[in-house]
Amino acid sequence: MSLLDLKGITKEYPLGPTTVHALRGLDVSIDKGEIVAIMGPSGSGKSTLMHILGALDVPTEGVAALEGTDLQSLREDELVTLRGRKVGFVFQTFNLIQTLTAQQNVELPMTFLGVRKGDRAERARALLVKVGLAERVKHRPNELSGGERQRVAIARALANDPEILLADEPTGNLDSETGAAILALLKGLCRDEGKTMILITHDPDAAAIADRIVRLRDGRVVEEVRHDH
Amino acid sequence: MITEFFRLASQNVLHRKLRSILAVLGVLIGIMAVVMLISFGLSLRGLMTGQISKVFGVDTFMIVDQDVFSGRGHGGAVKEYALDLETLQGVEGVKSVAAVRQRTAFVQGGANVEGKVQQGFFPVLGLSPELETEFAAFTGDLVFEEGGREIEDTDVEVAVIRRELADRLAVRVGDTVLIAGEKSNEIQAKVIGILAASEEEEEDQGFAMGASASSSDTIYIPYAAMDRLWPEGNDFLVTLARVLPGYDVDDVADRAETVLKAEGSRVSAVTSGDITSVIDEFMTYINIFLAGLAGISLLVGGVGVMNTMFTSVLERTKDIGVMKAVGAKNRHILAIFLIESGLIGLLGGLIGTLLGLGAAGLVCWLINTFANLPQGVAFPFVASPVLIVTTLLGAFALGAVSGLWPARRAARMPVVDALRYE
Ligand SMILES: Nc1ncnc2c1ncn2[C@@H]1O[C@H](COP(=O)(O)OP(=O)(O)OP(=O)(O)O)[C@@H](O)[C@H]1O
Ligand SMILES: [Mg+2]
Repeated sequence: MSLLDLKGITKEYPLGPTTVHALRGLDVSIDKGEIVAIMGPSGSGKSTLMHILGALDVPTEGVAALEGTDLQSLREDELVTLRGRKVGFVFQTFNLIQTLTAQQNVELPMTFLGVRKGDRAERARALLVKVGLAERVKHRPNELSGGERQRVAIARALANDPEILLADEPTGNLDSETGAAILALLKGLCRDEGKTMILITHDPDAAAIADRIVRLRDGRVVEEVRHDH
Repeated sequence: MITEFFRLASQNVLHRKLRSILAVLGVLIGIMAVVMLISFGLSLRGLMTGQISKVFGVDTFMIVDQDVFSGRGHGGAVKEYALDLETLQGVEGVKSVAAVRQRTAFVQGGANVEGKVQQGFFPVLGLSPELETEFAAFTGDLVFEEGGREIEDTDVEVAVIRRELADRLAVRVGDTVLIAGEKSNEIQAKVIGILAASEEEEEDQGFAMGASASSSDTIYIPYAAMDRLWPEGNDFLVTLARVLPGYDVDDVADRAETVLKAEGSRVSAVTSGDITSVIDEFMTYINIFLAGLAGISLLVGGVGVMNTMFTSVLERTKDIGVMKAVGAKNRHILAIFLIESGLIGLLGGLIGTLLGLGAAGLVCWLINTFANLPQGVAFPFVASPVLIVTTLLGAFALGAVSGLWPARRAARMPVVDALRYE
């Protein structure tokens, strides 16, 4: 059984009198421990796919299953809890809460799951050390560089020790050197801790860390390439 | 978790300082007005009940004309009534009584420097000796000129007058004045005391004199002398009665009123409770008015908070998406925003309460210091804990309620839409 199993997924958005078909019947399955890069032109449905993979959104048709559980069968609250435990997100624009320090940002996912304050703080600090920000614990996002912000975001994604990391163009807002460092960090984390990562990217260098590349066009999978490292 | 939400919310409040300040200001002004007005109302009530309890003990009631207290008839003006003091004294539970009777009498004094005998018609007040012994607070402190003294139990043919009248009648302490009553009743009253001309006007001479609208030419004589001049007691101004220990003052007052009315006296018996309840009724109307005023200003403040919160929700759409993505449930988001708007309300409430209390205190101080209040009368500054706690809770609730709609909008925002928001 795959970790994530998507079958016959379509996603439609009604837009005035017309309908936007973001995904048009798509089958993907992702195994535990895999790093999968999703590539494709702008508007091909990559982010939409990521939202469904990350249990943020439900498909219009088709079945999305995480460890065999049909996500559509869950109530909203259950979905939120599942997402909080199993999935960590890294975004192109970092999306840190501006009013919170690095540590508080990393604590946030644990807060929502009800982790005790002491445990939370300890884990947050450990994660920040892990991503190389031992000295930036008390900094707020606007006191950090882009690369540092993305490291905080990665630490936050790891907060609840999720099985799956979903990264939507994590290097899109970084220069190539910083981007390479972030990719190296993500890859190292996945390899060391056996995490599964789905990496959405335009950048062939980024895709190069993946075990498999899935190409989308117009909401369909047009190519799958397996890499052997 | 909730403490974390408080931190998130308070950091948001602090983050947008100017906007928060404006919203806080909207709440603050309303709260301040309410707290100030209510506090001042409480001061007013404190002043009135304080004055009443000075005159009235818990065991004292007062017999007045039945129209005085009800406000009917002569617009509450003081009016004489008929009364049999013996009957009142005989009512079960009554310990002692004291009365004030009023008449106008022909009075003859001494001769002036030109040898002309001074005379005229003047108001005469007959005072029970018990007024001094049992109801001292009622008469207040009398200030005598040297050589003068108060009327005592055994005195009959004596009089106390004021300095102004002493001059007019050309008498000194020790002289006698002739007072003529009905028919051919008359007494030669010895002037035993002259009240010093007071700078404080009449008020400090106590309630009895105030109530009789006594003027500088009033002559005070013992009740016994009054009885001798006008045996028919239909000229009572006010009568005080003290009840025996163990009796309920309201019961005894009711009983006295019934007995006296049965005898044909048009009177009502008034206890301090009766007066306080009239004041309270009056205060209730004031408070209803204040509540209306408060309602309007708080509505305005609430709309301000709501506006701020809508802006805040819109501005943090992306944050809402992120928080939901990392595991925030709808109720978490709701709580965060409700706390934020509640804090704005609470902050406004806190500052508004302090300023309101300060303003009320200042008004009391200004009045006490600069207004020409009678001696011993001062507005007590009342910082009611109930008022403060209620106001603070109310302010938090106001903020939270005003934030409910924006917070629900935030909570129900679909996570993907929020994440895509630019
Ligand atoms: N809420 C929405 N309402 C209507 N159309 C939408 C909505 N969300 C996405 N779409 C459409 O769905 C299609 C896929 O969007 P998506 O964001 O998945 O593309 P993408 O591959 O991530 O593009 P990019 O590389 O630019 O991020 C686009 O045509 C987009 O306009
Ligand atoms: Mg995208």
